[in-house]
Amino acid sequence: MIDMIEKEEPIISEEEAAQYDRQIRLWGLDAQKRLRGSRVLLVGLGGLGAEVAKNLILAGVKGLTLLDHEQVTEESCRAQFLVPVTARGQNRAQASLERAQYLNPMVEVRAYPDRPEDKPDDFFLQFDAVCLTGCSRDLMVRVDQLCSQRNIKVFCGDVYGYYGYMFSDLASINPTTTASFCSLKEALEVDWTSEKAKASLKRTPVDYFLLHVLLKFRTDKGRDPDPQSFAEDSQLLRQIRDDVLESLAVSGDLLSDDFVSYCFSEMSPVCAVVGGVLGQEVVKALSQRDAPHRNFFFFDGRKGNGVVDYFGPN
Amino acid sequence: MVQLVGSLRKELADSLSSCRVLVVGAGGIGCELLKNLVLTGFKNIEVIDLDTIDVSNLNRQFLFQKKHVGKSKAQVAKESALQFCPTANITAYHDSIMNPDYNVEFFRNFMLVMNALDNRAARNHVNRMCLAADIPLIESGTAGYLGQVTVIKKGLTECYECQPKPSQKTFPGCTIRNTPSEPIHCIVWAKYLFNQLFGEEDADQEVSPDTADPEAAWNPEEAAARATASEKDGDIKRVSTKEWARSTGYDSIKLFNKVATRQIHQLFKDDIMYLLTMDKLWKKRKAPLPLDWQQLENHGSGLKDQQVLGIWGYCKLFQHSVETLRSQLEQKGDGAELVWDKDDPPAMDFVTAAANLRMHIFSMNMKSRFDIKSMAGNIIPAIATTNAVIAGLIVLEGLKILSGELESCRSIFLNKCPNLRKKLLVPCVLDPPSANCYVCASKPEVTVKLNVHKSMVVFLQDKILKERFGMVAPDVQIEDGKGTILISSEEGETEANNSKFLSDFGIRNGSRLQADDFLQDYTLLINVLHTEDLEKDVEFEVVGDAPDKAPPPPSNQEETNSITNGNKDSAQPSTSSKGLTCSHSAVMLAQP
Repeated sequence: MIDMIEKEEPIISEEEAAQYDRQIRLWGLDAQKRLRGSRVLLVGLGGLGAEVAKNLILAGVKGLTLLDHEQVTEESCRAQFLVPVTARGQNRAQASLERAQYLNPMVEVRAYPDRPEDKPDDFFLQFDAVCLTGCSRDLMVRVDQLCSQRNIKVFCGDVYGYYGYMFSDLASINPTTTASFCSLKEALEVDWTSEKAKASLKRTPVDYFLLHVLLKFRTDKGRDPDPQSFAEDSQLLRQIRDDVLESLAVSGDLLSDDFVSYCFSEMSPVCAVVGGVLGQEVVKALSQRDAPHRNFFFFDGRKGNGVVDYFGPN
Repeated sequence: MVQLVGSLRKELADSLSSCRVLVVGAGGIGCELLKNLVLTGFKNIEVIDLDTIDVSNLNRQFLFQKKHVGKSKAQVAKESALQFCPTANITAYHDSIMNPDYNVEFFRNFMLVMNALDNRAARNHVNRMCLAADIPLIESGTAGYLGQVTVIKKGLTECYECQPKPSQKTFPGCTIRNTPSEPIHCIVWAKYLFNQLFGEEDADQEVSPDTADPEAAWNPEEAAARATASEKDGDIKRVSTKEWARSTGYDSIKLFNKVATRQIHQLFKDDIMYLLTMDKLWKKRKAPLPLDWQQLENHGSGLKDQQVLGIWGYCKLFQHSVETLRSQLEQKGDGAELVWDKDDPPAMDFVTAAANLRMHIFSMNMKSRFDIKSMAGNIIPAIATTNAVIAGLIVLEGLKILSGELESCRSIFLNKCPNLRKKLLVPCVLDPPSANCYVCASKPEVTVKLNVHKSMVVFLQDKILKERFGMVAPDVQIEDGKGTILISSEEGETEANNSKFLSDFGIRNGSRLQADDFLQDYTLLINVLHTEDLEKDVEFEVVGDAPDKAPPPPSNQEETNSITNGNKDSAQPSTSSKGLTCSHSAVMLAQP
């Protein structure tokens, strides 16, 4: 708690008061001050990443660090609005920096071109919150484990075509609230063989299993399903679906073939929805205001369904 | 074999690049929407907004930067969007969508219209234009953490006006003028005062004590006597420019002080003392305490007492803002008027000071400028994320429409917390059109209760046809067998009728009027129900509407439920009325 006190500068400038007026009227001045003292790491500047970056920069965090090793391709120009069309071949984080900074000069925005896997532990520990997009399952599990121990808030999210999710781990060393969070590892490794779990399957959003499929695809292929290899990737997706559902000991019927043609590429409006929800969760956690969603949010852009559900040990 | 372009099937992607869409509004939702449309692959987009950029927009209208303050929203939004998609074909209009240039033919150019508005009048208008042109409309709104999206298609779904929407909250004149009990009453009074002194004088915005207050009279004779004995002839007279020119010949500062001081005396002392003579009002209420300027002035500088300094501070603020506003007025020249603007510092200072002085007099805790600005300016708190979510949902509905999948379109509500079924975003099936809708029914008809002897033609035009029934340029004929023209939308043609009463034209109980708005391609038949029996301050009633009482103070529950239609109309929601088919409404009520 001492950390928080040190971060709270009592004065809010005229400029800040004028610019943040409409949000201060919603979440209050104290919340705005806490945001103003927070540093956030954002990994991945694809469609979802750009939305989260925009939302956090507009909210007025102290600093936002962008980390992305990918290069700008023709596809990236279609996917997000921070990268200039002339930036092909450049590093995606660095190419996004200028426009990101323009969004709000009062936020310190930085960009690094490195692979998150290559970053040492203490790189992650300098932040109040870490937000991982486009990352492999293993990286997310590692970073989550590392950060949540130190009371650093961890968020993950991805968009696959019409589908998207976000996950949060706000476990704190001094849990003062009644809400509890578990690690990503635990959340993904729910045991579906128990009687209790089987009974709850009916009320369980299938998006959870879809997430497993897509994460496995990403791990196996080192990339997400690509419209250029539609036929090949569709087949692989169906195969992975069969494997995953079997390994989780749940029925193969849970996920029909339907999803396959709708999970390619990052759809802009879906990025906007997931990025909006994810961005707001980060704001809530940093400002310590309003109940967080526990611990997953799943969005199905075809149905317009947005569901919050908890996965993990009870 | 399925072919994809990005996430979309090729046929859909192709139709996106050829179709034309219209975005009405380039503010919070509009900026996000424009970005989504362009990134999704829409190539031909037209965007219209009458507004210019303000610094308070910058926390969420991300296509704008500080350097753009003062410029046209539509224009800058277009330029910014072109930055990340130079091949998009975007047309920007710095204009009002209610301008007759945007007629039914204009709307027919588009495959889809998307509203990103903040006021009901414009929403009503676009609703009618889209019905007239038979173009699908996606309607949306946000307030704070809440938002909603819905689809409107003629003949298939409800139109925007199928469900009656609660109208603007108003307060009875005597509450404002005699017996304020809440800060909002004092704030409304202060805004009326601003108009009386510097702006457009309005007979409905009196600030002096209401001698005809029915609550004040012990008996009717006493009330009549009081009224005739009253030396007050209504309002504070604005110092005319002529008088002002005369007075500047002398010591201006002293005169500034005198004039403002005189007003302080009158408004906050004399008028209050007058109210005190209406003793029946104070039998069950705490009586107001007149301000004594002299006393305050003497004690003002020395005392550390916050309360006194607070009052003195507001007296000085009142004085100072009056001076500033007077000189603004003078600079504008003869016959000039000021329009109150929450973002104009002296105008805001004036209302802050006047409202607080009045609150103090009526024993209410004074409020900060920040809080008063919220109430006086009808400010709706707003953040980027809510708008981002809603704009994303708008595009998703748009894609369904363009794919010919209207039956899969939904109304979607964004909650602050998940409902009992774990839903944060709640899709609801769209309702069919309402058979009695006074807009989209095949021959819309309404019955209006009013007093034909006391309702003027201009009242029918402005308060009933325009304000209540959303017409922009009404034409009215009496169905008297002669087709007598009562109101013509052509300027000047029927001006002579304005101050005549309806009964002067033979209109009486049972008369029928045909009202048309040709731009909206809208005809409404009005049945007149004459009555002498309306509640005080109520001048007409639409039969079939819920009674227009001043609503009870909102509980926390209602506040969290509110999804407003904008800051220029009521604060109450337009949530779907279906509590049965859609879990949304039922669960919203359960929120603490």
